[in-house]
Amino acid sequence: MKCDKFIEALGQRVKILEVTRQYEDQVTALVELNDLPEAVRFLYYDMGGYLSTMIPNDERSINKHYALYYALSMEGGKMFEGDEIAQDEKCFVTVKVLISPESLVFPSVTPLVPACVWYEREAYDMFGLIAEGLPDKRRLVLSDDWPDNLFPLRKDAMDYRYRPDMKEHYMEPEYDFLRPEGSGIIDVPLGPLHITADEPGHFRLYCDGDTIIDADYRLFYQHRGMEKLAENRMNYDQMGYLAERVCGICGYAHAIACIEAAEKAINLEIPARAQAIRIVCSEIERLHSHLLNIGLACEVTGNYNAFMHIFRIREYSMKLAELVTGGRKTYGNVVMGGLRRDMTGHEIKESLRILHIIETQVEEVWDAVMDDQRQMKRWKGVGILDKQVARDFSPVGPNIRGSGIKRDTRYDHPYDFFKQVKFDVAVVEGGDVFAREMVRYMELKSSVSIIRQCFELMPQTAIIVDPKFHVKPENYSLAYVEAPRGENVHWIMQGSAQKVYRWRCRAATYNNWPSLRFQFRGNTIADAALIVCSLDPCYSCTERVTVVDVRSKKSKILTHNDLKAFSQTLKNSPMKDLK
Amino acid sequence: MMKLLDISKKYGEITHKYPFEPYKVAENFRGKPAYIYDLCIGCAACGVACPSNAITVQLNENKSKLIWEFDCGRCIFCGRCDEVCPTGAIKLSEEFELAVKFDKSAMIQRGELEVQCCSECGKPFSAKRLVKYSLECLSKANLGEKRLEEAKSYVSVCPTCKKTATVANFTAGKEMVIE
Repeated sequence: MKCDKFIEALGQRVKILEVTRQYEDQVTALVELNDLPEAVRFLYYDMGGYLSTMIPNDERSINKHYALYYALSMEGGKMFEGDEIAQDEKCFVTVKVLISPESLVFPSVTPLVPACVWYEREAYDMFGLIAEGLPDKRRLVLSDDWPDNLFPLRKDAMDYRYRPDMKEHYMEPEYDFLRPEGSGIIDVPLGPLHITADEPGHFRLYCDGDTIIDADYRLFYQHRGMEKLAENRMNYDQMGYLAERVCGICGYAHAIACIEAAEKAINLEIPARAQAIRIVCSEIERLHSHLLNIGLACEVTGNYNAFMHIFRIREYSMKLAELVTGGRKTYGNVVMGGLRRDMTGHEIKESLRILHIIETQVEEVWDAVMDDQRQMKRWKGVGILDKQVARDFSPVGPNIRGSGIKRDTRYDHPYDFFKQVKFDVAVVEGGDVFAREMVRYMELKSSVSIIRQCFELMPQTAIIVDPKFHVKPENYSLAYVEAPRGENVHWIMQGSAQKVYRWRCRAATYNNWPSLRFQFRGNTIADAALIVCSLDPCYSCTERVTVVDVRSKKSKILTHNDLKAFSQTLKNSPMKDLK
Repeated sequence: MMKLLDISKKYGEITHKYPFEPYKVAENFRGKPAYIYDLCIGCAACGVACPSNAITVQLNENKSKLIWEFDCGRCIFCGRCDEVCPTGAIKLSEEFELAVKFDKSAMIQRGELEVQCCSECGKPFSAKRLVKYSLECLSKANLGEKRLEEAKSYVSVCPTCKKTATVANFTAGKEMVIE
């Protein structure tokens, strides 16, 4: 069967205590705690794996231990032609370890596999599990003034309604940014709040003159504690709707991933028509998300004309979503066992008409943008993600495909209807903003063709199976969906009474952030917003700048108005009292 | 650059005149759930189905009325209430202009229903309309005259009293005969 090859190879390296199979393509191997770094490194680099997600879990009520699950997607390193595992052998191998509640310590994998860094930082925040040897032990998810000994995802830690007292603004501990050594380095903060950014994030850019030397960032200002919420009071009917609200753009992908994780854990096969419509909706989502991002990449560089045209076309994809699901966003459709809403022949006909409009007009505008030399110069050679950095940090989506690595969940681990649909994976070499936008453009075209194929191939079956299922406590499984921004991975361990025991939701951008630092280096401040934008998470602007003079150790905060007034009149420089 | 201007010329003005003229939504648009008070029987199916607890159905403080309440601010427009309503009292409309000025209570819609009191203990347990609706359904269900008479007294007993009666009968060794 699938995966056996990898388990056998792993068994020759380290001692495997137990092997369990969750699904056709998912196997978990329990190893000794001290073998963990070697086991993950071996699967990652030697066997050609990418880190999909890592799940810390409080299993004290099950086996008196905490557990860690490192889920690796075995698909080949893909660093050169032919460096890929055969299509029918691709699978997920999870390395599991148990940690005793007395010591709470586990050996860090990050020194060997850098991709684990965020996951291991989060394991401390949420469960108090200490990664020994982790180079970066700062907080990641929780705010800086969160109480020290409160680990929210432990089962006995707190009620989900509990809110610890906030500290006064001036009492809040400072976040310790990683600052490069050297004189004359200027800090430029971007964010955390900006009206047009959909997610707040704080970026600290360290600049020498105009060039960014290094960068550090603090995110999770909007941590909503959804995992805790779902564990405590939601049933599977409600969870799908909660998962949709993880993201405002790729919500549907989250809903499918979440529900499919629950379905896979009980081996529930949904009807082919429901599979096809799920794919149609997620591709519609890709259409509007990619159009949004290409539009914003134009807007950030000042090309408002192209931005407006792309958003004009995007409006058609919103219309399409409205037609198919009844809302401008593709929300409220997925339930366990299938879908709630079928498509009529009339709707399919109308959809095909809109698809034709989108296809022709996108091509038209894209050609015009490509002809614009000024636009191309802003995109080309900016924010380069090196292929080796990409290999080390397991980024996903257009971010990694723009660096010439052929990694697409729809192709590597075809789910649902993708087994029957044909499409080309968009891969562009170069790793710059242009390459990423090019990937998005190519995916727009393939999305249109995927939707057409789905309409053609989808059989006339029911769209929902009778949900007479019994959840089995302690069953767990992984589900993966290629969202517009990359692979979304959800992991669900089922509990008793139709509730989840643990839900781990890993959004695509989570894997993309750690490598952003390398993309910033060597670029100018003006391109910072563009680089962030090209990841497709959020973008920030220099609405408020703190200028720090390293030599005199003085700092001053300039407001938007200060800067505007100075640039209009060039009098009363706000910098003068710093000197 | 010039190409983009040509495209602008080709497609002309594409913005809608909204809000100066109405915006037409798709045929099966899922807008704000519209509530028809006259059809509501207070069965609370919508309240049970609602994933975000936007709809609640509960007795008011002095238990004189059954209150159906809908908080539009919590609604996620999934349409599950529409699916489960047996009488079609709640249907997703085409309405999407939901903003209110300052007063958030304007988002809350409420319906008060007469309560049915238990014929045994006298405590309120359901809505009068629900009891009436159940009887109507039963009368169409091709039951015998005698059975229907029995049902008439049976439906106005609250679940607690039914339970105690069953237990009392059972422990006393009485058999319940259903004809």
